[in-house]
Amino acid sequence: MPEWNAILASFTTPEPVGTTALSMVLMFPLLLAIAIIYKTTKLRAFFWKTMVRETIILFGVLSGFMILAIVVLNLVVWLMTS
Amino acid sequence: MAYRTKADFLLWLAVVGLAGWIIPGGGHFLIQQPKRGIVIFVTITLTFCLGLYIGSIGVIDSVGGWAWYLGQMIATPAVRILDGMTRSGTYISRGRPCDLGQIYTAVAGLLNLLSIISAMYMAYSGRGELIGQEDENA
Repeated sequence: MPEWNAILASFTTPEPVGTTALSMVLMFPLLLAIAIIYKTTKLRAFFWKTMVRETIILFGVLSGFMILAIVVLNLVVWLMTS
Repeated sequence: MAYRTKADFLLWLAVVGLAGWIIPGGGHFLIQQPKRGIVIFVTITLTFCLGLYIGSIGVIDSVGGWAWYLGQMIATPAVRILDGMTRSGTYISRGRPCDLGQIYTAVAGLLNLLSIISAMYMAYSGRGELIGQEDENA
């Protein structure tokens, strides 16, 4: 029971999120969720193997574009401020 | 499945949509797509809970963050209960954790909207039943 209370209590106080580059990692679970749900609703026939393969591809594409956007935006800021 | 009247059919679509709203993935269970239902339920529940964990239940705020609240409400009607708990102002969330929590929970809601539409479309076109049989035969 004390464990259950501790789990519930962790939902009542916000977690510290810094402004470091590491905090960008938090976008990946969201991208994964988007890829999973999109493929789950979009695939005509649901087979686990196909589903996993398609999800990994979409997740990779989404992550790649997000990382590219981060690099480009950082370059623009660096050019403007240097 | 044969429907007696058009009203029956519309009622069935409404039930599928409502089931998908009350329990994420519930609509897919009703149209014989349990695998899709399980994946949707687990994914949306985890995304929503992760948002609550990062920003605390204070991210559910129907007054200060009503636009986010609309998205959160699509995830499940249980959000209304959480909103009642946070109305007292005991659970406050601000800054980046609040932003991230709101994004996670609202995106979980919007993903559930996509799932509800998918389930209703499959029920409308009868696709779910056909594909369910294909899966069984595979």
